[in-house]
Amino acid sequence: MNLSRITCAFSALALLSITGCDAIRAIPSGEDSVRVVEVAIFEGGYGIEWHRSMAEQFNREHADEGFRIELWGDPRTADILKPRLLRGDPPDLILDERLPVWLLIAAGKLVPFTDALARPAHGGDSSWGDAFATGMLDMFRSDGQVYAIPAAYGAWLCWYDARQFREHGWEVPETWDAFLELCDTIQAEGIAPIALQGKYINFYGWNTYVSLLHSAGGLAAINRVNALEPGAFSHPDAVRAAAFMQELATKYFQRGALAMTHTESQLQFVNNHAAMIFCGIWLENEMKASMPPDIELRSFSLPPVADARGNSAMLHGQGMEFLFVPKDARYPEEAFEFARYLVSPQFAPDMARSIGVISPLAGGTPPESVTPALQSVLNAIDRAPGIYNVRLRTLFPEWTTQVMQGAISALFRGEITPEEFGERMDAGLARSVEQTERPIPPYTPYDAAAFGELP
Amino acid sequence: MRTPRGFILAFLAPALALFCVFVAWPSLRALIYSLQRWDGLGTPEWIGLKNFQALFEDDLFLDALGHNLILCLGAGSITLVLSLLFASLMHRRIRGANLFRVVFFFPNVLSAVAIALIWMFMYSTTEFGAINALLEWIRPGLQAIGIHALDDALPFPFTDSKYLIVALLPMMIWTATGFYMVLFLAAMQSIPEAYYEAARLDGASPIRQFWHVTFPMIREVLTVGIVFFVISSAKFFDAVWVMENQNPTPESHVMATVLYQKIFTEYNMGYGAAVAVLLFALVFVTTAVTLRLSRKEALEF
Repeated sequence: MNLSRITCAFSALALLSITGCDAIRAIPSGEDSVRVVEVAIFEGGYGIEWHRSMAEQFNREHADEGFRIELWGDPRTADILKPRLLRGDPPDLILDERLPVWLLIAAGKLVPFTDALARPAHGGDSSWGDAFATGMLDMFRSDGQVYAIPAAYGAWLCWYDARQFREHGWEVPETWDAFLELCDTIQAEGIAPIALQGKYINFYGWNTYVSLLHSAGGLAAINRVNALEPGAFSHPDAVRAAAFMQELATKYFQRGALAMTHTESQLQFVNNHAAMIFCGIWLENEMKASMPPDIELRSFSLPPVADARGNSAMLHGQGMEFLFVPKDARYPEEAFEFARYLVSPQFAPDMARSIGVISPLAGGTPPESVTPALQSVLNAIDRAPGIYNVRLRTLFPEWTTQVMQGAISALFRGEITPEEFGERMDAGLARSVEQTERPIPPYTPYDAAAFGELP
Repeated sequence: MRTPRGFILAFLAPALALFCVFVAWPSLRALIYSLQRWDGLGTPEWIGLKNFQALFEDDLFLDALGHNLILCLGAGSITLVLSLLFASLMHRRIRGANLFRVVFFFPNVLSAVAIALIWMFMYSTTEFGAINALLEWIRPGLQAIGIHALDDALPFPFTDSKYLIVALLPMMIWTATGFYMVLFLAAMQSIPEAYYEAARLDGASPIRQFWHVTFPMIREVLTVGIVFFVISSAKFFDAVWVMENQNPTPESHVMATVLYQKIFTEYNMGYGAAVAVLLFALVFVTTAVTLRLSRKEALEF
């Protein structure tokens, strides 16, 4: 046996084992004939089946244009895509705002939608940019450029089963005091008043607090927080909101809620073990496979607290399910085209019918295309003179996970006072603002007076 | 006959190449990153040891280190004692030993994620939670004998971040005991029966036999077991990640989840790499110290 040949063979095998995978991956399928545009979709409450059917339809309509969409989705898109973004090999279009969009914007890693928004809306009369409802493009706007566009309208609401309410003779509360009285009544009947998705407290708990913050302090309180004003959370209005939140958590949240995942707690709610739950619009679609057929899902905005400074008709909402195009995308133009197709006046009604998404486009969702549950959301949207939101979660991920999450948990367990909660939130935020090396995008305050509130 | 050098190299080359590409090179890169400030997207900046300095001033990391220590000492001590006890019982051929061996070893054939999910369901505060159901079932009995600890405590939120680290201890013990039991049993079975016969003739009780025959003769394997446990509890990740729904809090973080969060949530590459380097150093030092402290002349038999 010739040993040098064996040596060569093993060396070649070793080299192949090291380089082989990359060599194979470097040859994209169909590179010569068709450009493959990769689209990654977060598989959350709205699933990906509708998006997949849209990609197939888009491919059929653009069969002769030399490219095709390849769409995939996963509940862990963020985890899957983080290493790909870091190594400069991202998909062409991404739907997942759980990725650090602001960080990507600051690092110049996203392409703005400026040109795409100037094109006509697919199936509409205006430009794509003008077709969006007020406030929907604000979340990721920097230096006048829009870096991510929402595929859905997001609103934060309290959900209930109208059938259960009717059977027990409960009424939808109009004021905060009536809300607490209702909670007492429900509790007295042996049912938990409110379910909570405790394992995502920095999202579900936080958003409910923000609703109360607006109610207690109005847009002025929201502006203080968004403008990163020192002491914004220790302001008397913010402390009052925290006190309301704590009362709700310690007295009326379902026992053991802080240990529940979102699916566990939402199952508790749809099975009537808890009478109400705070959630976004995706609740119905997310739980449709597990909901009893006779449930009558409806929603209402958080009722105003006593001496509310906030206009109670205002909606706690924002664009959501954001789409963005990485700078390292191979086919950005094709990605913009698909985004324009996906979020279009032409397909918004079908999106509402199929997966219960309320379109971020103004008047994009006709009432007849939605379920009674979403109709109750549309009513709230129609009534609202405007929407508000707090931008800190997306701006400071480290503050969210290390400060806010712990502070809210402690507040909910009754371990700290509302004043201490405010101090913790303020101190943590000040530290994040001081330590961040990322540019903080300027904030345009909400015009409180324009919505009938005190500035 | 001398084996030709080329032949040796040919067989070593693939493993060495894979080791260099997948272990040595990434480890070196991690060390370099740990000396930089880098968000993974822009240009890295050399900052020397500042990441390490920040680590020791960071409550999040220090708490996580403490949690790893609780898991290591809490679960480790109970696991080793239980596995030694069970191995001794098996060694003495108690009735049903083979069945117990399979039952105790069973958790080792499950993936860490599956184990975490099983315990998550057992701990659930909903009607599906077996442990809360059991506590609910025994509550009236406890009340009857004047124990009221469970009166207002149920369902107990075991997987709430505040209690999670302690709730992980039974899971770790349940998972690891079987493995260490098999490890120690193999060592015990290699001890010649003659030593036990001699001990019995001298009138030694089973406990004295264990302390004076079994224990000294399996000491080396016991040391290996301790090292294994230190390493596995230092890099503990899966169960915290699963039970916290990828969302650990400062109350539930361990070092590996801090590492993940720093790199993939906050995009703080340098800091995350510093955690990884420190994790490596801690495991290395602890292993070396454990081996050093337990080093005695090996018993040959």
